[in-house]
Amino acid sequence: MRAGREFPQGGRPGGLLRTARGARLLVLVAVPQLDVPQTPPVYAQEGPAEIVDRVDRLLRGESSRGLVAMRIVTEHWTRSMEMRIWSLGTDHALIRILSPQKEAGLSTLKAGNEIWNYLPRVDRTIKVPTSLMGAAWMGSHFTNDDLVKEHQLIEDYDVEIAFDGVRNGVEVWEFDLTPKAEAAVIWDRIVYLVRVADLMPVWARFYDERDDLIRTITWSEYRTMGGRLVPTLVTIEPADKPNERTAVQYVELEFDLDLEPAFFSLRTLRSRDR
Amino acid sequence: MTPRAPGHGISGLFRRPWWRVGWRNLGRNRRRTLFTASGLAIGYCTVVVMSGLGRGMVAEMVGNGTGILSGQLQIHGLEYLPERSVYETLGGKEGTDVAALVDRVAGDPSIAAAAARVYGGGLVSSGDATVAASLIGIDPRREPEVSSILGTVYEGTQLTEGSNQLLIGREMAIRLDVGPGDEVVLVAPAADGSLGNDLFRVSGMFSTGLTELDGAVALLPVDALQELIALPVERIHEIAARVADPWAAPDAAERANSWLISDLVEAKATAWTELQPEMVFYAGLFESMEWILLVIIFAMAVFGVANTMLTGTFERRREFALLLALGAGPGLILRSVLAEAIALGVVSLGAGALITAPLMFWWHEAPPDMSWLYGGYTMAGGLVRPVLRVEYPPEMLWMAAVALFVTAVLAAIYPALRSAHTPPADTLAGR
Repeated sequence: MRAGREFPQGGRPGGLLRTARGARLLVLVAVPQLDVPQTPPVYAQEGPAEIVDRVDRLLRGESSRGLVAMRIVTEHWTRSMEMRIWSLGTDHALIRILSPQKEAGLSTLKAGNEIWNYLPRVDRTIKVPTSLMGAAWMGSHFTNDDLVKEHQLIEDYDVEIAFDGVRNGVEVWEFDLTPKAEAAVIWDRIVYLVRVADLMPVWARFYDERDDLIRTITWSEYRTMGGRLVPTLVTIEPADKPNERTAVQYVELEFDLDLEPAFFSLRTLRSRDR
Repeated sequence: MTPRAPGHGISGLFRRPWWRVGWRNLGRNRRRTLFTASGLAIGYCTVVVMSGLGRGMVAEMVGNGTGILSGQLQIHGLEYLPERSVYETLGGKEGTDVAALVDRVAGDPSIAAAAARVYGGGLVSSGDATVAASLIGIDPRREPEVSSILGTVYEGTQLTEGSNQLLIGREMAIRLDVGPGDEVVLVAPAADGSLGNDLFRVSGMFSTGLTELDGAVALLPVDALQELIALPVERIHEIAARVADPWAAPDAAERANSWLISDLVEAKATAWTELQPEMVFYAGLFESMEWILLVIIFAMAVFGVANTMLTGTFERRREFALLLALGAGPGLILRSVLAEAIALGVVSLGAGALITAPLMFWWHEAPPDMSWLYGGYTMAGGLVRPVLRVEYPPEMLWMAAVALFVTAVLAAIYPALRSAHTPPADTLAGR
């Protein structure tokens, strides 16, 4: 092994999963949502930062519970998972895999900035070290960091409106987000497309410091679930692997549940019957 | 009695008057000859010993850099390097007959041993502590013949085939707060996309002195790692081989690549010189420094010897004048001074060899342990232990000898020319 020595497994030691770049898996555990019917877009009078902040807060949601189907397509394998998710604000989330049988019961708990995994096969709980926050989560194209990231976009990025008009028959805003001087972020630029009418996100493109596109998150299939309008399909596609993607389909969603922070505990993580 | 005419060849050469004058002149001022010869002898010894020390450091760097774990030659699937993807196994997705391939690799005359390996990345966890680790599956029977890492196990026992055991480095053991017999959880992304996880027991701890190994590597039986990351037994990532002479590895890799191609095996053999080019760079750097050292030391010596020769020939100017007055040609004077320089070179080389040989032998056989002064360090990824190791530099032995003679002759040219052109009448008249 050479110093500067190379590690096996895609160059990342012990990655829970393959290396990827981080952004927000909050799209997975906290769904974009708006009350329906829609009110007129009074926010149209707001500035770009306020609008992005509004979308960002919508993406974070309040308490929620859902059933999610995740399909991961890679060059080497394709697999589908079904999982139950709970979330409370930006600090707490719990994800429990229901299928496939081999991994049923495998759970991830987010509590603040920490991530814990429960492994039912060996009946053990392990804490994901901070050095692996950039590693992919459960073989998907989401990272552990996506789970714990809780800073608001406008805290880290300056926002400018790059386009305001109609695309494909839909009135949209395209925002250009560039990091503030003091912000410790991985993305050098994020381009964010939002529908004007209902503030539903359409896609977000993430660029590195060389302005190369690294990945794209696409929101689609907007439906009413739990009494709210939500994009029920979220797809993430790495730019360097055009044949790979992770798609998250919301099957069930409930909002404004009576969830307490105490629910998101190691005891709940280890519980198999939830 | 008529003096015998000098014969031909070396024996005749030594009987020539200018040679005998030159040789005997060494004994005229023995103290001066002793000092001059000592300077040249010590210069010779310094060049040889410093060269040996440099080579010892390179041997230490290469030996440990390739010998502790990586081996001097590795065979991988065609697409394995540089990404080291878990999916790129020898023989493609179908894998290969591992035992047969390992035996074939080990059959090369310069390869001492070969062993199969599997690599994975994962987490090792105990209690609240979790560390990221490079998981290396090894063949517990064959690995000790290929690398020395198992020889650094300082506590616990070696691995057993077919068991959920692992060996971890000293630093990882400290971070996890575990010891032999303790249970740990291993989590690793598997080749089928699932998350492999299982309980393992720590069989022992190793200490190589390299932080990246002792803190971030876990060794486990190859079959146990294959099961953890869902790879069938015929799929491995690497065959590592030990080549007794590390510098013979590129040729061994070339031979292996020829039969891998002719046998249609989807694999490529790579020598350490290609895998760790920074070590080759350092070795080249040390080699060039040997030459710089050689030039500096003998360049310094040439002025010292020239000064001595000038003094010596100045003292003999009346002798040269008399010879010239009696009909001797300037060539005789020139040859006799140069002969003195060559004779001085012979004496100096003899003295240099006499002090260098035992010193090198002792240093090579019993390199001083300097751990009281400094600890081990890494150079180009290879561990250099705190010992002053010396390796014999065969070509530097004669290169330094040639340099010594060249120095002696160069130093004598100017004094010889001056002596050959001594004005007889003026010199004998004391003017």
